[in-house]
Formats: sequence, C-alpha cells, structure tokens
Amino acid sequence: MVSLEYLLLIGSILLLVSILTAKALQNVGIPTLLLFIGVGILAGSEGLGGIEFSDASMAQSIGILSLIFILFSGGLDTNWKESKIVSVPAFLMATLGTLITALVIAFFVTVIFKTSFLWGLLIGSIISSTDAAAVFSILRTGNIGLKGTVKPLLELESGSNDPMAVFLTIGTIELIMAPDKSISDLVLFFFLQIGLGLVFGILGGKLIVLFINKLKFFYEGIYSVLLLALVILLYSFTTLLNGSGFLAIYIAGLIMSNQQFIHKKALIGFFDGFAWLGQISMFLTLGLLLFPSELLLVTGSGILLSLILMLVARPLSVFITLIPFKFNLKEKMFISWVGLRGAVPIILATFPLLKGVENSHLIFNLVFFVVLSSATIQGWSINPVAKWLKLSAPLQLKKKLSLEFSSATDSDTDLIELIVPFNSSIAGKQIVDINFPADSRIVLIIRDEKNIVPSGGTVLEEGDILSILINKKNLQAVQKIFM
Amino acid sequence: MKICDILKEDKIISDFSGKTKEEVINQLIDLFQKDTRVNDLEKIRTAVLEREKIMSTGVGNGFAIPHGKTDGVNEIIAGFARIPATIDFQALDDKPVNLVFLLVGKENLVGPHIKLLSRISRMMNKEQFRNDLLAADTPAKIYEIFQNEEKNYFDIT
Repeated sequence: MVSLEYLLLIGSILLLVSILTAKALQNVGIPTLLLFIGVGILAGSEGLGGIEFSDASMAQSIGILSLIFILFSGGLDTNWKESKIVSVPAFLMATLGTLITALVIAFFVTVIFKTSFLWGLLIGSIISSTDAAAVFSILRTGNIGLKGTVKPLLELESGSNDPMAVFLTIGTIELIMAPDKSISDLVLFFFLQIGLGLVFGILGGKLIVLFINKLKFFYEGIYSVLLLALVILLYSFTTLLNGSGFLAIYIAGLIMSNQQFIHKKALIGFFDGFAWLGQISMFLTLGLLLFPSELLLVTGSGILLSLILMLVARPLSVFITLIPFKFNLKEKMFISWVGLRGAVPIILATFPLLKGVENSHLIFNLVFFVVLSSATIQGWSINPVAKWLKLSAPLQLKKKLSLEFSSATDSDTDLIELIVPFNSSIAGKQIVDINFPADSRIVLIIRDEKNIVPSGGTVLEEGDILSILINKKNLQAVQKIFM
Repeated sequence: MKICDILKEDKIISDFSGKTKEEVINQLIDLFQKDTRVNDLEKIRTAVLEREKIMSTGVGNGFAIPHGKTDGVNEIIAGFARIPATIDFQALDDKPVNLVFLLVGKENLVGPHIKLLSRISRMMNKEQFRNDLLAADTPAKIYEIFQNEEKNYFDIT
C-alpha cells in the first residue's frame, strides 16, 4: 500500500509541473489541455515518470467529478444576456447536430473499416460532442475576440451537448450488449435524460439561489461549501433518477449566472478554481492512462477518422442544423472548425472499456487519437482561421478596476459616487477629521483619473470622486459633511 | 475613450432657457430619444433623478454633473447644457448653476464611468475653461473647447 503522503507528493508535483508548463508555454498557443495530457503521458509508465496507472474506472471517476466542476463553473460564468439570443440554435446543435455527427461517422466507419453498424455508431456517439472544457479554455483564455453571436453559440452548444453524447453512447452499448432491448425503452431513456436534466437544472438553479440567500452564515467560507454540496447533490440526484446530471448542473449554473445571490463574485471565483483543478487533474489522469505506443498502432485509421470528423461530419451537422438561422457562410465555416473534442469523448471511451465491449481497447485508442488531433490542429488554428474568415474582433478590454456591489439581501447599503465639491470645507482635510459615519466607508478615491486607496490620513481634494459604501440611514449625516 | 468620443455635437444645448434642475436634466435626456446607444430612456431618467435625490450633483462654481449608472444604455453617453440665465440646482454651495454635464454609464462598468467623472471634474475645476464654455454660444464652439482642452489627456480604458 502506497502511503498517503507519497500520493499527495506525486499529485502536487504533477499539478505544479502542469501549471508551470502552461505558464512557460502560454505564448506558444498550444491548447492547455494538450499540455496537461502531455505532462500526464511523460509522467506515465512509458515516459520519464514511470508511474504505473491503468485504472480506467478511477480515471472515469476523476473525469466525471472534474466535468461537474467544469460544466457548473462554465454555466455560472456565462453571460446569460448574450446566450439567450442563441439558445434555440444552440439547443438544436446540441441535440440534432450531435446526432447527425454520430450518424455520419457511423456511416463512414462502417463503410471504410467494414465493421458492424452498431460498432461504427458507438465510435460516432463517443466523439459526437464538442468539449466544453476545450472550447471554454480556447475561447476564454486565448486572446481571441469574436464578432457577433458565434462565441456564445459555441459555448452554449459545447456545454449542453454532452448529455446527448452520453445518451447515444450508453444507448448504443445497450444495443450491442443486449440486442433484444426495445427501441421504445431507449427513446424513453432519451427523454428522461434530457427532460429531467432540463427540469432539475432550472429548478435546481432557482432553489440553490433561494437557499443561499435565505440561510445567513457568519462565515463567508461556509457559502462555498454549501454551494459545492448543493451542486454535487443536484448532479447525483438527477443522474440516479436517469436524468442527465451534466445537463442539470450546466443549466443550474446558467440560471444562477442571471441571478443575484450572496457572495456571488467569491463563489464564481471559488468554482473557477475548482474548474481549473478539474481540468488539470482530468487531463493529467487521461494522459497517465494512455500508452503512447498503442496510440501509434492506430495512426493510419486515427488520421482518417479525424479527417472525416473535422472535414465531413462536423461541417455537415453544422450546416444542416443551422439552415433555419441567419448565419452566413463564413460563420458556419468557423463554427464547423471549432468542433473541438476533449475530455468527454475520452471519458465516454472508458464506458465500453468497463462494460467489456468487443475491441473496446481499440475504440479507446482511436478516440484518444481523434481528440489529440482535433485539439492540436483545430485548437491551434482557431485564431488564424478567425482572422482569415474576418470574424475576429478586438478583444474587449477587461475593466481594470472591478467594483461590484450587490445589495440583494442588504438593501440598506449602496455603493455610490460622490464628488468633493469645489471650494468645499472638506477639501484639504484628512478623512479621519471629517466625522464620516462609522458604518459608511469611502472605499476608493479617484483623483486625476488615478485610483487612490484611502486611509484615515488621506487628504481630500476638490473634484475628487469618492466611491462610497453608504448605509442609507447615514445619508443625512453624509450630506451635511458635503454641504 | 475620451469625453469627446462620447459627447456628440447634437447632444449639446448651447442656450438652455428653462427654470429648474428637473427641466434641464429631462431635456438633456430627451436628446437621446433616437440614439442607438440607448435602449431605455426612462431607466436613464430614473437613475439620474434617483442619484440627484441622494445629494445634488451641483458641485460648486456654477457647475453640475448629473450622472447615473443603468442598463438602459449600451455604452457610456454624455450631454452638455450651457445656461446663460443660470438656474437653481440646489448646488452644494447654494450658488446658481450655468454649466451642466450629463454622464450616464453602464450598470456593471464602473471603472471608466468614475474615471470620466474624475476627468470632467478636473477640467471643470479650471476657471479659464469654465469661462470659455460660458462664452461659447453654439454647440460647435462648445465642442471645440472640449476638444482643445482634452488634447493633452490620455485615453481612458
């Protein structure tokens, strides 16, 4: 038995190496997921690290747990106003589009590799969904600005098409393992997945907000734990009832992104951290699980499959699904190109492995190959392609000074700007001398367009803009000071 | 972004002749009726008037800077009024007001909004600048004075 400290040592070193590698190579433009997989491969049994790891079920568990955080955080960090406009096309792409991708690949695999149709459909289903983690990480952390509604569409699609892929994969495995399974059972399963996922997601998101705002805790840190527990509860509960837990938590995150709740900013930050931890550990684990020598054996068929996916299946699904909507040719070409595959297919590829489907090892290696080539080729070329199609827009500068105040539960307090009047008696005085009410605060001074963090000894000047956190019952006292 | 980028000539009133604070604020806001940067005029009105209720933005020396933050605008907008006859703005120094600058920013974009407030108050604190504005009797002249004054300032990001 390996000691806990030994495991922790290895784990922390792997995390650190991943982060530092990402930092060192941040300007090269390699998709971060490739870096993390690379670190995993290097640390693995065929690399420098020599770590023996071939536990597919543990990798699957780590993957699922990581996906929970990535999807929830992705939903929570979404701009709902932007996303609402594209919700219909995104939903169609996530369902019909995913199905088309799977069917087109199934057709080609059956014809070219002379396999059974179901086996082809299994591969098609596994690689049918675009990856939220990969799309988010490239569209959000990369220096890419996109015009119009393309970006929210791609994000919403990638966040919501995993349930479809999960359904298709599990359904196909069922059909392979138990051929007498009736189609109506599968159809019911599908509607349960999507329906429960949607309903629980919407309800869950609203209830979580209500719950957070109702319970008053003294310690801010408790809120993170509370939300963590609620999110995992929502996922497991939905999944155990045969709904899509992934869809539920993503939708819940989306709903919450549009609502006010206590410590919203801190909680978004908390889950952002967890999402990163999830991404790194998931890809590390998948890298560890891979034996590169086996990957080389499938090079030929892997390249063929990748080309079919990138150049035929994905574009077909995008162009067919988007027929009713106003997207021009260039936009559709770009959307086709951002069909990044990531962790979900690899995690899905562990399903047949664990279920003992025939040739499942071949599936795993093929899928891994497709994901790596998609992430490399598409991930790397997204920026140039966006420029070439003239879809890139200047990246919106993030606000340098971030002042957010939400007074959802504490309606007595507000953040306002007041100006130190010209010729006023408080100009030239130190803050400590102006008798400012104790439960209101000057949080920031802007003088000559520069930020000054105030202290008691700061001398106020005419024309200073004061950002004041003010308790409304102090309004008159503050007014008097300024008169 | 500079003040001259957001203040347009057609949003300048060079000879406001009303009597009250509410009149000048409303008239300035009404200039934005067909402006594409605005999606809800009434939200702007509410935000600015609510802010006035907390404390008058007449900050002295005949100058007032009504402002507010609201999601009724898509971008920061600005308007300006010159009032030769002066009005009572309930200014903090109790003196009449003859120069009014309206600034409305986006709800969740606080940084640029307060920087612009800071720039305006800095410019308005110069007596020469105020006198130049008071002497300018057309929107074009007023805009030109802003442009000249802002030449030496950097872009606000």
